[in-house]
Amino acid sequence: MAPDPDAALMLAFQAGDESAFRALFEKHGRAMVAFCNHFVRDVARAEELAQDVFLKLHRSAARYRQAARFKTFLYRIASNHCLNELRRGEYAARREVERGGGAGSEPVDPDALAGGAASPEELLLASALGRAVQELLARLPEKQRAAFVLARLEGLAYDEVADVLETTVPAVKSLVHRATVAAATALASYMPAEEATS
Amino acid sequence: MSHPTSELTAYLDGALAPAARAELEAHLAVCPACRAERDRLASTIGLLAQLPRAEASPTFEQRFHARLAAERTERTRRRGFLDRRDPIWRWLAPGLAGAAAAAAVVIHMGAERRDERFLAEHLDLFENYEMVESVDALERPEDVAVVAHLQDLVGR
Repeated sequence: MAPDPDAALMLAFQAGDESAFRALFEKHGRAMVAFCNHFVRDVARAEELAQDVFLKLHRSAARYRQAARFKTFLYRIASNHCLNELRRGEYAARREVERGGGAGSEPVDPDALAGGAASPEELLLASALGRAVQELLARLPEKQRAAFVLARLEGLAYDEVADVLETTVPAVKSLVHRATVAAATALASYMPAEEATS
Repeated sequence: MSHPTSELTAYLDGALAPAARAELEAHLAVCPACRAERDRLASTIGLLAQLPRAEASPTFEQRFHARLAAERTERTRRRGFLDRRDPIWRWLAPGLAGAAAAAAVVIHMGAERRDERFLAEHLDLFENYEMVESVDALERPEDVAVVAHLQDLVGR
């Protein structure tokens, strides 16, 4: 296994070096907000959840064993925490209210997605795409959603996702595939025309 | 002809073994339907890669460090409180914890998988000594788990 500098920081923190913990938070804290936001669709709440994750990490440092890569250890805490949050039902109820507000999926011009500059139209489209993805995520079964977020949106390799979700690589392959097929259907209207029809 | 569409996402993610990849590519060369599905999935993956990531607010780190400082102060305060308590508690705790652990094993062995999952999801209860103080009876699985680990907690 390649050396894991984050694991070294975690071990230093276990040995009492608080600055090592701060370094881990600075490196992963903001990424964790983005990760949590995939589950709760609310940046303020995602920030709280990400902070919770690092507080848990701070409390449970003694449980860390170097056998696990730090990233998978962190994502495992975060996935469990976010899924628990969803299970509490608080966000299911809130999503219903939001859907009632009719913010949903207005037709958009897919061509506006191309290119790097962020014009107001592109920002609007990115926002609409973001909502469509969040609605898709809300419909996916729990484990499929977690696998999809980790692999597709966070860029973890299948074996890392398997470690985080404590399952097998073939199971991850199946979960990610089914979720990607669901995404292809749900996001068809956002595809550039020539790709959507080819 | 069977269509290996369930392999396409792993193929696009570069997660197929070389032999499986070669086999799939041979199939794609002769199957327009699978090529179309590959292209549809590839477009979806490309689209998702453009999704903007949520940005934390500028005060995110500052608020975290404030929460961490508050939690550490609280932990210190509670530890100080426990240290001042009657020493008999510290003599009795390991024995009580052992008895409770034995009871917990018996109860836990009979528990449903639902309870195991519940315990796993509430791991943080194990981490909070203060939670132990509020346990009056072994009524719920998480109470059992907390008491079962009392000795570990006392040793912290």
